[in-house]
Amino acid sequence: MAFVQCSGLRKTYTVGDEEVRALDNVSITVEKGDFIAICGPSGSGKSTLANVIGGLDQPDEGSVLVDGVDLAKAKDKELSEYRNSRIGFVFQSFNLQAHETALENVISPLVIGGVGKKKERRERGMKALERVGLSDRAGHKPTQLSGGQRQRVAIARALVNDPQMIIADEPTGNLDSSRGSDVIAELRRLNSEGITLIIITHDPNVAAQAKRVVEIKDGKITERTGAR
Amino acid sequence: MRFSDQFRTGWRNLSRQKLRTTLTIFAIVIGAVSVTVMLSLVTSAKSFLVSSAQKTGMDKRVIVTGSTGLDYRESTWNWPDGSGKRIDKDTLEAVTKLPHVASATLYSQVQMIRSFVLESTNQELEFKNLSFEAYTPNGTIKHLLVAGEELSEKTNGTGILVTTGVANDLGFKGRESELVGQKLVLKFRTDMGPPDARKADETAVITGVVMGENGDGLSVDLEWAVRMNTMEWTQKGPNGQTETMKESQIDRYGYSSVWVSLDDKKNADALMAEVAKLGYGAAAGQEEIDTQATVFTIIGAVLGGIGGIALLVAAIGVINTMVMATLERTREIGIMRAIGATKRTVRRLFRVEAGVLGFMGGLFGVAISFGVAIGLNQLLNKQLEDSGITDRDIVSISPVIALVVLLITTLIGMLAGSLPARRAANMDPVEALRYE
Ligand SMILES: Nc1ncnc2c1ncn2[C@@H]1O[C@H](COP(=O)(O)OP(=O)(O)OP(=O)(O)O)[C@@H](O)[C@H]1O
Ligand SMILES: [Mg+2]
Repeated sequence: MAFVQCSGLRKTYTVGDEEVRALDNVSITVEKGDFIAICGPSGSGKSTLANVIGGLDQPDEGSVLVDGVDLAKAKDKELSEYRNSRIGFVFQSFNLQAHETALENVISPLVIGGVGKKKERRERGMKALERVGLSDRAGHKPTQLSGGQRQRVAIARALVNDPQMIIADEPTGNLDSSRGSDVIAELRRLNSEGITLIIITHDPNVAAQAKRVVEIKDGKITERTGAR
Repeated sequence: MRFSDQFRTGWRNLSRQKLRTTLTIFAIVIGAVSVTVMLSLVTSAKSFLVSSAQKTGMDKRVIVTGSTGLDYRESTWNWPDGSGKRIDKDTLEAVTKLPHVASATLYSQVQMIRSFVLESTNQELEFKNLSFEAYTPNGTIKHLLVAGEELSEKTNGTGILVTTGVANDLGFKGRESELVGQKLVLKFRTDMGPPDARKADETAVITGVVMGENGDGLSVDLEWAVRMNTMEWTQKGPNGQTETMKESQIDRYGYSSVWVSLDDKKNADALMAEVAKLGYGAAAGQEEIDTQATVFTIIGAVLGGIGGIALLVAAIGVINTMVMATLERTREIGIMRAIGATKRTVRRLFRVEAGVLGFMGGLFGVAISFGVAIGLNQLLNKQLEDSGITDRDIVSISPVIALVVLLITTLIGMLAGSLPARRAANMDPVEALRYE
């Protein structure tokens, strides 16, 4: 069975008299170990879809089945647990806690999930930092790191709980092309290690590396490129 | 999220805004100090009142009077005028036989004293607005001694107690012990008797200086007082001979009252009921102590209420601080939610943070209150020493009050933090992450 199975997703925002269909009858399946690129013009609903799959947002209609549990109907506690321990998020703007060090940021999912003691958390955090090649920057605050380094810290944070899937919403959007390709290479390596990967991107070069590309426009899936 | 991690996070977030945190805590400290100090002052005053009353035996005292319906205070001042039941030796005997009576004495006032002179300084004081009590010194009536000793059997006919007020008027404030052993000449008025009424001066020796319980004045042995209350005059007899007449006020009207010391203060009502059966009035000292204690309780409630208002204002400060914190940290909240924090976790984080504010305020407040108590005691000890009272350090912060204040400030903090906490928890994570 697929890892995530979305069907008939609808999400409509009403601003004044305007109705915006951010998701309009979207169905998508994510297999274990998949690498999906979601592309589309600005405002087409990519982030909305990623947030719904990531349990950060819920659709107005439709279902998001993960291991038989429908995230669309799940309570806050279930959704939070899902976000905490089964998936990892990577954002365009890094979203690191500015007052915490790299290591503290990386282990924060463990702290929030109540996982492990101080020592275990530290070990797991250092291991995650090693995986992104930043173990020598553990004590640095985000402001003391470059953009590419910050994004790698964010990836380490997404990794620390050994997630089954990583959702990256324009992870290279704030990086120059060389740093961007480092980050994509990092994510690809994780995918090759078995982690399911969903990347939202404008960059055709990035999309070209995915096993599947999902094109979305005005909240509708318009085009799919099958597995290469 | 574990409580220890919540606590650590809350602590850390508070220390990120040191000035604001300090000011918020400061407001709670003011509230906590005012509640703690005010309540402690009142409880200290109350326990001082009670312990003083225990030393004089007031808590175990019942006063039996000829008139019924008098309260304790009125009973102490009661003056026989023939309107009530007569109090005399038979009364004492009857009362002494009643159950629960440990000891008893007749009690009266020395009348018609005009003035008294301290021999050493030759200073004469008018006897005005003073009491001059007389009783049998059998332990029923006790005083708070400042200097010297209580009256006893062997001081009968010479010994006199003066209150600190009188000592003060005689110029011996702070040197009360120097008065002990000095001679006091008592002068009487005879203008109310027949034209040639006489009453010789009496010379007394000061046995002790005491705190006045029933107003300021003098105390002597009852037997001596009976003699002092006796006036002499001459009149022509039916056969033209000269007769020397004697009359004691006490013989005419009886004594003022019988003062009883109970075996246990809880038996006051039982004894009073027995006394009522005999047709006398009775009042218990404990009632007076309770009345005064009630006054302190009311003062305590009012002062505590003022402190409570200070705490309420501090609580508004906590709400303000935490609302600001939720706004500043909107994005942080979004991040926490994205990496798996439940609404409940966010809510708790803010509530714990607010609770820490309250706890810190309470902790500092209680600590400062202990300091205030030490300061107040230093001031008061001087006063107590000056008035010859042996008690020291009467202001004490009871650990119960300290703990309760600590608990209350923590709860107030958490309660005040509830509203902002709920606000933070209910933020939409997607919106929060988009927040600049
Ligand atoms: N909270 C909101 N209120 C109103 N409209 C919204 C809200 N969130 C999203 N939308 C609208 O929904 C549509 C889809 O938004 P979404 O963020 O998913 O786009 P996107 O494909 O991620 O765009 P971009 O590439 O610019 O990030 C947009 O038209 C947007 O204006
Ligand atoms: Mg987007």
